[in-house]
Amino acid sequence: MDESQKLFPATSGFVLSAAVTVLFNTALAWAKDIYPGLNDAMKSVAGHHWTTHGLVDLVLFVGLGLIFTSARTGEKIDPNRLVVTLTGAVVIAAVGLGLWFAFV
Amino acid sequence: MDLNITASDVILLAHAAFGVSGIIAGLWVFVEALNASPANAIRLRTAAYLTAICMAAAWICGGYWYVNFYPAEKALILKGPWPFAHNIFMETKEHLFFVTGILAFLLPIATRETLSANSAARKLVLSIAAMIVVTGVALEGAGAVIDHGVKVELLRGPGAGH
Repeated sequence: MDESQKLFPATSGFVLSAAVTVLFNTALAWAKDIYPGLNDAMKSVAGHHWTTHGLVDLVLFVGLGLIFTSARTGEKIDPNRLVVTLTGAVVIAAVGLGLWFAFV
Repeated sequence: MDLNITASDVILLAHAAFGVSGIIAGLWVFVEALNASPANAIRLRTAAYLTAICMAAAWICGGYWYVNFYPAEKALILKGPWPFAHNIFMETKEHLFFVTGILAFLLPIATRETLSANSAARKLVLSIAAMIVVTGVALEGAGAVIDHGVKVELLRGPGAGH
């Protein structure tokens, strides 16, 4: 690959982390809807399930981003594929949330 | 003049205002990235930080309002003619917001790249900024539907349909 077209390790690491986090966010929203007990458990952590949900997302995004950066995981993926991965993850997450709450 | 503005009103309107400002800043990043050059690199990064700061402020204001003031409005929506304003639009909005927030926090990291010399990085920043704008506008629209869900119940008057 042309060196000028590579991304910094932090960029590729955090892009990969964002893709994983947005998918996790949607899966957690589904799980909370299916299992009321999970909602209650998350409420007991930070006072409200939504607050806990947001904190978990942030910790996951930053934590995975740092891990992927230090392991240079994202660098092993073609930058254009990373863009497609992130875009695909966001589309799946957004459509998945909308359809879930509309029809399930 | 009695303005009669409550803390709930201020926090809710601040949430919407910061959200719109974040969308506009995201659009600014998109336009700067379309025309990326060494000359606009600092401006582009400034816009990216502004996007992240506005979305963080929208997250804090919206979260505080949702946790402390929304339950009363939720009860009104659910007993009114537009229960889907909560069941579909608020449920989706409160979770989709995290996606927009994560993208906004990713933007300053991605704009550290030299976009004028790296087409892959430029494509990445364009994609992130575009997704912030699209999901942000969807969130603003959902907010309007939720607000209208309260309004249609209040307009029915006391005792209507109960």
